[in-house]
Amino acid sequence: MSGGRSKAVVLWGLTVFSLVLLSFPTLIIIGASFTSGDIIRFPPEGFSLRWYERLWQLDSFKDALLRTVYVSVVCTLVSIPAGTLAALGILRYRIRFRRSLQVYLLLPFTIPLVVSGLGMLIFFGELRILGSLWPVGVALCVINLPFMIWAVSASANALDSELENAAANCGAPPVVVFFTVTLPAVMPGVITGALLMFILAFNEFLVSLFLVDSRIVTLPVQIYNSIRSVITPDLAAVSVVYILIAVLAVWLLDRLVGLEIFLRSK
Amino acid sequence: MAETAAGGKPLSWRLIDGVDRLVAAAWPRGLHGMNGYLFLLPAVALVFILVIGLGYMVEFSLHELDLATYRLKEAYSLTNYQTFFERPVYIRVLWRSLLAAAIVTLITLVLAFPYAYLMVRTTSAATRKFLLVALFLPFFIGQVVRAYGWLIILGKEGLLNSIVTGIGLPPLDLIYNYPAVILGLVQYMLPFAVLLLTPAVAAIGEDIELASESLGATWIGTFRHVVIPMAKPGIIGAGIVVFTLTLTDFAMPEILGGGTSDFIANAIYDSYFQISNIGLGSALSIVLTLVGSALVALMLMIAGTGTLGFAERKS
Repeated sequence: MSGGRSKAVVLWGLTVFSLVLLSFPTLIIIGASFTSGDIIRFPPEGFSLRWYERLWQLDSFKDALLRTVYVSVVCTLVSIPAGTLAALGILRYRIRFRRSLQVYLLLPFTIPLVVSGLGMLIFFGELRILGSLWPVGVALCVINLPFMIWAVSASANALDSELENAAANCGAPPVVVFFTVTLPAVMPGVITGALLMFILAFNEFLVSLFLVDSRIVTLPVQIYNSIRSVITPDLAAVSVVYILIAVLAVWLLDRLVGLEIFLRSK
Repeated sequence: MAETAAGGKPLSWRLIDGVDRLVAAAWPRGLHGMNGYLFLLPAVALVFILVIGLGYMVEFSLHELDLATYRLKEAYSLTNYQTFFERPVYIRVLWRSLLAAAIVTLITLVLAFPYAYLMVRTTSAATRKFLLVALFLPFFIGQVVRAYGWLIILGKEGLLNSIVTGIGLPPLDLIYNYPAVILGLVQYMLPFAVLLLTPAVAAIGEDIELASESLGATWIGTFRHVVIPMAKPGIIGAGIVVFTLTLTDFAMPEILGGGTSDFIANAIYDSYFQISNIGLGSALSIVLTLVGSALVALMLMIAGTGTLGFAERKS
């Protein structure tokens, strides 16, 4: 193993660089949120929780947070049935134009986000539903729907059509087969997809920027609007809320389905 | 007979029977051949919202703005598309976006491949878990928050400049320029790329690599002739996703570029909300959609297999 050492050095060198790149902004934000100064400066002026305290007293923050949760819940609730059924439809049934349908269902990824957002702004404007929050949730479901379909169809390998046939042979009606055999088999995919949809909606910024106005502003848009050239620590505290939610989501994903699910070969 | 059977069954059974009879009445057996289409209906309808939006934008793009009334003229014309090709500023913005997409894709793939490889190959479960968590954490933190983190690091009075001025050097301009946008984008794209590469790397048997090395190939040779060719579908898939996401990005050029490094998405935003020319903005949108789709199609054609499709039906 003469080359083993240089291989390890090169590969680990690049990976450690990636690790630093990935984690650096997060760690800096966490550090900056605990400063006692009025602006973020290095070295920090001192340790305090004043920015969290201020955040907690800020109604605009709490309202935006609640709206963001609401929008993400709407997005997740719409995408679970739509994405799960679509994945099963493509995998389990004989469909004509399968290839075209797959390309069609990938449109949310191939149409640029800025175009999708503006298109929905125009369409929702025509429907006179701008200014409500639920259309934002539906919009976020539309742009991320392929993630849900992908998550479910990736787990559908575990689905054995013989099991469904067996259940049907034993007299189970189709509805029972669906809820007791098909659905439990793809459950890890549904959970993964739902979690992805929630967290992506929670973070989504560009499409939300088009569809919310100042009365129904959501958290990512509010952070964007508050970013100034002078960097104040209140935004760092808000960002830490995001980091905490990401930690929670990673932990949940690991507990429920295991992160290693993403390492499987196709 | 039916009555005694129903009486003896638990409530949940009767409920399921009820639902089943309801479904059978609403959806007779003869229609079961259509089940797949019925399953697809909600998703197809949701995606259709985008098609409608795109339709509106195609229509808007074909009408010139009347500067007297600030409304779109009735007559159809290609003036907006002409404006795009004639104004050097838009061509420049398009090139800047395409160049950024190429650079970001290259850097991201070079960084993502070793990451994916080590994550798959490591024998230590703890190392694997650490690499996974370090990947998913930023993946679950949105672009705005991550861009904000870079602002703290690169800003005028940010972390790096504090170090630079601390050792007596003049402060550097690290923010609001093209390299800052590239940096932010590479960091944003890394998790996508690694997650798309991982299944491809996992599909390569370690024994094939060992065979190559036992036949005298160096690890670089093994990588060049065995590992990378075998992972090609994954590399192409990851490359396409990173390229198109970068090409169409808005937040990083906006926040880290500060107006100096606008991409097409920023130009579209400006024509809609700054100069209120939705005809021109729509034309730019259509151009961006076409350029992006054409490039994806081209890459898939050159590279062959599509790796973006969902799992294929098992027969």
